[in-house]
Amino acid sequence: MTVNTKQDRDFIKTADEAVDMYHAKKEELIPILMKVNQDLGYIPKPVMEHISSRLQVPQSHLYSVATFYHMFFTEQTGRHVIKFCESAPCHVAGGREVFDALQEDLGISPGGTSDDGKWTLMTTSCLGVCAVGPVMMVDDDIYGNLTPDQIPDILAKYE
Amino acid sequence: MAKITIDGKTIEVENGTTVLNAARQLEVDIPTLCDHPELTPYGGCRLCLVEVEGARTLQPSCTLPVSDGMVVKTETEKIREARKFVLSMIFSERNHFCPYCQVSGGDCELQNSAYAEGMTHWPIQPNWHPYSVDASHPFIILDHNRCILCRRCVRACGELVGNFTLGFEERGADSTLVADLGLPLGESSCIGCGTCVQVCPTGTLIDRWSAYQGKETDVETTKTICLGCSVGCGIDVLTRDNRLVRIEGDWTATINHGLLCDVGRFLPMVEERERILTPMVKTDGKLKAATWDDALKVAAEMISKHKGNLDGVTSTRVSVEAMAQLRNLCEAFDAKSLLTTEDCQAVSAIYHQASSDQSALEGKVEDLLDADCYLTFGEDITKDHQVLSFFAKRRIPEGAQVIQITDKVSGFDNFATITLKVKEKSLADFLIDLKDLISGKSGDMALIAEKYSLDKDELQSTLDALQSSEKSVILFGSRFDFSNSDAVVSATRSLSQAANAKLITTKGNINSVGAAALGYEGAGKVQADLLLMVLADEDLTQCIEQKFEKAPKRVVFSSYVSPLTAGADVVFPVENWLEQDGHIINFDGHILEQHAALESAPEVYSNSNAIEKLASILNVKNNTDWKKELDKFTSPVKIA
Amino acid sequence: MKTKRSMVLVSNDPASQKKGASEVYNQFSKELAAFNLSDEISLTMVSDIHRDDIAPFVIVYPEAVIYGPVKPEDVHHLVEEHLYKGRIAVDLKAPTKQLTGPISWIADRKGTLPAEQRIVLERAGVIDPDSIEEYVIHDGYTALGKALTEMTPQQVINEIKESNLRGRGGAGFPTGSKWGFVASAQGDQKYVICNADESEPGTFKDRLILEGDPHSIIESMTIAAYAVDASEGYIYIRGEYSLAQTRLVNAIQQAKELGFLGENIFGTDFSFDIQIHAGAGAYICGEETALIESIEGKRGEPRPRPPYPTTNGLWNKPTLVNNVETLANIAPIIRNGAAWFNAYGNPSSAGTKVYTILGDVNVTGLIEVPMGITLREVISIYAKGMKNGAKLKLAQTGGSSGSIIPADLQDVPMDYDSFAKAGVTMGSGALLICSDKTCVVDLAKVLINFFRFESCGKCNPCRIGNQRAYQILTKISEGLGTEKDLADLGDISKWLYEMSNCGLGQTAGAPLKDVMSHFVNEVEAHINQKECPAGVCKMSGTMPAQK
Repeated sequence: MTVNTKQDRDFIKTADEAVDMYHAKKEELIPILMKVNQDLGYIPKPVMEHISSRLQVPQSHLYSVATFYHMFFTEQTGRHVIKFCESAPCHVAGGREVFDALQEDLGISPGGTSDDGKWTLMTTSCLGVCAVGPVMMVDDDIYGNLTPDQIPDILAKYE
Repeated sequence: MAKITIDGKTIEVENGTTVLNAARQLEVDIPTLCDHPELTPYGGCRLCLVEVEGARTLQPSCTLPVSDGMVVKTETEKIREARKFVLSMIFSERNHFCPYCQVSGGDCELQNSAYAEGMTHWPIQPNWHPYSVDASHPFIILDHNRCILCRRCVRACGELVGNFTLGFEERGADSTLVADLGLPLGESSCIGCGTCVQVCPTGTLIDRWSAYQGKETDVETTKTICLGCSVGCGIDVLTRDNRLVRIEGDWTATINHGLLCDVGRFLPMVEERERILTPMVKTDGKLKAATWDDALKVAAEMISKHKGNLDGVTSTRVSVEAMAQLRNLCEAFDAKSLLTTEDCQAVSAIYHQASSDQSALEGKVEDLLDADCYLTFGEDITKDHQVLSFFAKRRIPEGAQVIQITDKVSGFDNFATITLKVKEKSLADFLIDLKDLISGKSGDMALIAEKYSLDKDELQSTLDALQSSEKSVILFGSRFDFSNSDAVVSATRSLSQAANAKLITTKGNINSVGAAALGYEGAGKVQADLLLMVLADEDLTQCIEQKFEKAPKRVVFSSYVSPLTAGADVVFPVENWLEQDGHIINFDGHILEQHAALESAPEVYSNSNAIEKLASILNVKNNTDWKKELDKFTSPVKIA
Repeated sequence: MKTKRSMVLVSNDPASQKKGASEVYNQFSKELAAFNLSDEISLTMVSDIHRDDIAPFVIVYPEAVIYGPVKPEDVHHLVEEHLYKGRIAVDLKAPTKQLTGPISWIADRKGTLPAEQRIVLERAGVIDPDSIEEYVIHDGYTALGKALTEMTPQQVINEIKESNLRGRGGAGFPTGSKWGFVASAQGDQKYVICNADESEPGTFKDRLILEGDPHSIIESMTIAAYAVDASEGYIYIRGEYSLAQTRLVNAIQQAKELGFLGENIFGTDFSFDIQIHAGAGAYICGEETALIESIEGKRGEPRPRPPYPTTNGLWNKPTLVNNVETLANIAPIIRNGAAWFNAYGNPSSAGTKVYTILGDVNVTGLIEVPMGITLREVISIYAKGMKNGAKLKLAQTGGSSGSIIPADLQDVPMDYDSFAKAGVTMGSGALLICSDKTCVVDLAKVLINFFRFESCGKCNPCRIGNQRAYQILTKISEGLGTEKDLADLGDISKWLYEMSNCGLGQTAGAPLKDVMSHFVNEVEAHINQKECPAGVCKMSGTMPAQK
């Protein structure tokens, strides 16, 4: 990739770190992408280009893997990502009311990012903490036993 | 071996054969959509499901290996219902508006499958979500509304061509065909070979020219040879009402196995030159239409006057028959030289070396199919003689190494495991040094690396790759303007022997080998005042045109108007490549047959016939049997 | 005054005396002295508690465990296990009998009342998962030692076969047979993979095992590797389980340091190494072949089968893939023997099963009980009844693709065979218990949405079928449903089963099918009367905007 800006250089550095961590092995593509996703919050296209070239893996393959797995983001997200569980156990525990409250409070629909760039709201599949449903994750924090009136306080914790 | 019974018929097949292939051997027809005989089975469309005794659910015949004693049924009530169901699902997924589609009415495998099941309408309504149309590519249009997500194109782009431009983004119902990192096709790494278009079962991937020109049921198909380069790919030419509709790769051709590049598939669709339909004679400084008889008389007179002072020039798009006839005629009039319209010396150099070594040591195209190490230099084979590069690129996922020696940007840059940036003028020396390293004559890796400003480890890796490979191939792109062709050619031959690698040189144009085998000098100097030129339908570069324009007098056989015809004294109209038969000898010595797919206009004859007419009027008998001529020279590659 | 920490009561009623209660009492005296516990534990007698069937019996407090019948030769084991090591001696426990109140119906139940028996969750929550020492104290790595030094690989496989252990990931395939296939497969390299991609909604048992007792998986995988002759192993763990990943990495490091993993384990010729490979958010990667594709760095699209991973798995080599819970049973079985395992459950379904209890009940959570418990027992005993006295309407067993069982099947024992006879799947053991507050259309919609979202997209029936079913159910829930929609849903669920490439698609239509066979009236109410009896569906008359 053409390296023009500091951001480009940072991207290459992050990509190289991830690739080197896994000894540039092609089959470690998913852990490599995960590392980049964790470091940058998403996987920018210039990073994908660089990884493709270092691993000698076609860009189309890299892209098809990066977009298949839903923990990866290929576009920049809001500062905070909310993942709300929409699977059956959380739903039966009263998830819909909580989700309606959440949408109303944020003013965004699922998949969207708020205009001020603070929040991205997504629905997600079962997170494996079903006994305390309804459940949502904000970044790496998990919140369980949710009720609609808890939402404003939880959201207020994040800048 | 395993025995299988399908619909009551039993057959014994090799272990590992799929039920679908066993059925094909029994001539039992199982419908498929995602399957294609040239691609690895995918098992996604589920149209090929069959009932297997003892199995819990229906089984996909395209991926299921035969087990001994298997009993299969392919036409039960359940299966027919299942097929209808999956077809109704497919129709409901995207927007299949058959009345407006270019492939509707016979060429669409989806539509044909539905009709075969007696379906006439969509049982389930789609959700009417509009999908995009990508028309960014100069040759190919991609309409996502028609895509059935069979992945044939993705597999073809990867397994057959080795380019891996196409992939799939997202998953589930959001899955979409995509190029590279999500680029429009026209901005992606797509090389425009069109293999995806050829395998696409619906109207998703179509080319810009053949739309509405004719369907499989309307067209005539002629098997012939592409004249785009010396590879000589077998092609199917589709014509209708004496017009070219489409060119496809011939899956049964032994050279290319159905592969084709944009030069062969798409470039010939665009012909903008003016066609010459009648003989012309220069009268009062201007070319005027004339009859064949009159034109032949004028030409014959000129040739007789210039005995001993004429050069014969042939295009390399001309058949060996015509080339032999031309040579015969020229020799009868003591021609000074026999030239071709080629623009580089390498082909002759290769031929001369072969004669002096007395060895036909080059490999054949089959050697490219299963090598595990490819060393390439000279021309960029991904741009010229492209199909050969497909064979190398597609072996890369299997672990094959591609090593290129070049100091320029090349199409192999994203694929090569090692790139050695050796300057073109040092190539011959480098090849010799490499040969010495391999054969053990010289051991100083570091010194040699420094001499050519290379990374020592990369040089070592190159050596390791060549020495440890089970089968290596040197792909020498010889259509290249070397300053020292002889030296490079010689070095290449030595290197291939030292490395025990098969040598494949691309030579040049489609019948460069034929011309060299018949004694043509190739790209030599114009010496005489009269040129007897068989230009055929070649589209010459300005450079070459200027070279030949220097001769004061010209008798030209040509299909199209060009500066060389404009300034000629006599012009004879000849058939273009689609209109004539003939033989050509490709880069690896195969004698290939051209077959005419179109009929030419009344006064237009084949190159062969036209030369014969001229020879006849000059009382020159054609006593050159081109087949016998081939034995006279030692060819670099065995001609068969 | 010195306080005693434990009290042992030996029965002395006539029936017990006849069966040797005095000898039992004397033996206790001797054993307590031998273990130096006489000062801490008080020994006394208890008279009749109307339990002739278990005479002589012993009650131990504070746990209030009743043991019986107890023979003099059992006393040593009881003292060592319960009073010395602090673990209930399960093999000597007496069947309990409680006949009062809401569970008096249990009197009809022949055989034992299922009490929790923790095998796979034995240590989870009891030991410090970051301490290998605590694992070892709790019999950790003894099974591995026994296997490597006293058993041949074939003997290990036989033990697992005899135990009748079946895969706990959902498919229920006999584990011993699977091990046998891999062991006999030809290959210069074999792999053992632990499937820790637990993503089935309602299931988090594997997470608790991995977070609470990571070494149990390492030990069991190593035993498996020894049995099938594999030298490399992978734990494929879902990306969202970051705590479990950290604990496993730690545990592997510790195991290597002490020679329980790596080169020459226990000083034998056998070497085995384990790598952790995290997923990245795809339920389909819980399917064996999709999991393997993911480890190979590709999209998780299931491969055509046959060939099976047992012969052509990771990198096309013979590969054993087992679920976390399945593996967690291995070390206990090797340690205690197949017969011990068979004593739990019943012949078709040996051992215990972990069930997650979720939904409209008072107590949600996780239990491990012998196979054969019924839904009614789960609700009344463990979940402490439906919330706010609501009426049980249905329960979905086995995750989102599991069967939906109506209330009238709540007395069917939950084991593989009984369930199969009743046409219900066992699945992963998740129990989603729903009351009248749940609308079946709404529930079906949520379930299908999961499969629509998680479908890999390779095969048409699943990719498109789930999409169409979701749209139809949305239509019905908005009051726009038609009779044709019912027919279409029926077709979709039928063909999903017959035609899909893998288990996801094959079972995605199961809940739909069950809803339409058990609750068709409720669905028809939505269509014909434009009513949602449960009052859940919007019935707005318009379709929501689509992506």
